[in-house]
Amino acid sequence: MIKTLSISNSKLWRNRLKFDFWSLLIVLLLMCFLPLLDLSDYTLGILIVAMYLAIVAMSWNLLAGYCGQFSMAPAAFAMIGGYIVGLSDFHAQLSLWISVPLAIVGTAILGALLGLTVTRLKGPYLSLTTLSFAEISRVIISNSHEYTRGDQGLNVPSMMNDRLSYYYFFIVLVLLTGVFIYWLMRSKLGGFLLAIRDDQEGAESKGIDIVFYKLVAFTISCSLCGFAGAMYGSFSQLVSPEMGLLQQTGLVISMVVIGGIGSLTGPVIGAILVYLGSEWLREIGNIQMIVFAFVVIIFARFFRTGIWGFCLGLKQRLLQNHHE
Amino acid sequence: MLFLDLTVNGLIMGLFYALMAVGLSMIFGVLRIINFAHGEFFMIGAYTYALIATSFGINPWFTLPLAALGGAILGLVVERLLIRPLYDGYRSWSFVKDEYAVVVTFALSLLLIHLVDKVIGPSPFMGPSLFSMQRISIGPIMLNGQKLISSGVSIFLLISLAIFIKKSLWGKQIQAVAQNRFGAALAGIDPVKTTALIFAIAGGLAALSGALLSPIVNPSPDIGSFPAIKSYVIVVLGGLGSIWGSMFAALILGVLESYFAVYVSYDYRDAFGLLILICVLIFRPNGLAGMKGREI
Repeated sequence: MIKTLSISNSKLWRNRLKFDFWSLLIVLLLMCFLPLLDLSDYTLGILIVAMYLAIVAMSWNLLAGYCGQFSMAPAAFAMIGGYIVGLSDFHAQLSLWISVPLAIVGTAILGALLGLTVTRLKGPYLSLTTLSFAEISRVIISNSHEYTRGDQGLNVPSMMNDRLSYYYFFIVLVLLTGVFIYWLMRSKLGGFLLAIRDDQEGAESKGIDIVFYKLVAFTISCSLCGFAGAMYGSFSQLVSPEMGLLQQTGLVISMVVIGGIGSLTGPVIGAILVYLGSEWLREIGNIQMIVFAFVVIIFARFFRTGIWGFCLGLKQRLLQNHHE
Repeated sequence: MLFLDLTVNGLIMGLFYALMAVGLSMIFGVLRIINFAHGEFFMIGAYTYALIATSFGINPWFTLPLAALGGAILGLVVERLLIRPLYDGYRSWSFVKDEYAVVVTFALSLLLIHLVDKVIGPSPFMGPSLFSMQRISIGPIMLNGQKLISSGVSIFLLISLAIFIKKSLWGKQIQAVAQNRFGAALAGIDPVKTTALIFAIAGGLAALSGALLSPIVNPSPDIGSFPAIKSYVIVVLGGLGSIWGSMFAALILGVLESYFAVYVSYDYRDAFGLLILICVLIFRPNGLAGMKGREI
């Protein structure tokens, strides 16, 4: 989606990534001061869910924005992560200290298995297969009444008892995800992923094992989604098949596209703006998905770099004026 | 003779899947993109049919072409507004094409679902049947009149589509553009018009499939998602871009699913399609028809 960054792993790209990372830190720092405004528990809850979606959006962006593989299953993997925690509490009464790592490993294994089939495929095949996977895993979970209690969902034990500590906990989680993705993109792997996104054949001809690196990115992305889902389950104390609706994937995609695909800060800005906006539109009359789908089409058609790209352009223009 | 009954009913479901999947496959053949809003053509067809027939009391047989027209118009609008920028004009889209197509058609699908949900309402309602819904038994096979008549209509449509593609001038133009867009343009074929035609045909067929099924499935705004997922499985099974492959694969999937629902598990019948999809991707990545053109 972003043609501007096609020089993978060059100095320009590294500088831009660094700038991106610092702006993410600033955004999160600003978020830390938000509770000073004396927000209600309800608003805090909305911000926490927005940050859960921000983690899912960041991990989807790792795959789609940095590697060019458009998976349709981020919400499904979040749901599976949540269900691993929920099921291990429901059937085995495991504590979160065991079940959350189990969710991370479980979604990573599932992601790797799905990845083994889909990463050999290009473009539409990957989206098609992950879309079918997402719908069908949701159907399986809501139909297996005897294990998962179907549409009623499962209860998940909570970790903390007030919203404010959850709020800061989720800020830390977003920060950790950001640091992890930043570290990943600075490493050799990041360069390979960008090369695969920009020119798959070219990357292959330079001896990059594209299937392997796509598989690594796919597994990491799925596992991050599963982790986010497990954390969300512990916050809301309930996991249900609704977490895996395609509509949720649509929300995640709209966050990344509106915020700015292929950047660290974009998905976080997008997640917070879109989710706050969607709560507001829900109050007006449940029109949030209509508005966001429409906005996504407009952004994808005319402003392909999103809000983040717009900010970058503004910064560049300011710098140029300054030099003159 | 449960087996025979299942086979016939499965084949009939396969015919409806085929009406959807053929359009999807044609769009892929010409543009190399997947239309993730294809299920919504189905939904629009079912709604147009049910709404017009119930509120104006028009004979269902006359409403059927109106539903197809609704789908075709939607297809044309989508092509003109969202898909045409992909290949029209001078900008090179080679790098962002897939991404754009996935994001835009997926967002369009959500937009249409929620628009219908808001404007018409979330509760399902039934379309009038073309024929008596009473069960008839032909030997061991249990059918109802609606299924029998609408499968006849689908067979007629699929055969006429096949003749249209194979024999008519427009059909030959479609084949030429699918083989080589640039070459076809050099030979004096307008690729833009041909693509618009394909979207109209694909939209119309999917809408007809929805209209024919609307007395059976009770249309609700998200009704399109399952036929759409089935047709994704089918196009992969048949080889993307191959029209004959997808017709064939649709019948196979319909039959296999109806066996699975009875002999193995009814609750998980929809999961079975995915199992087939993954097996095909692993063991026969070129699809059943063995068509070239899958990029691996």
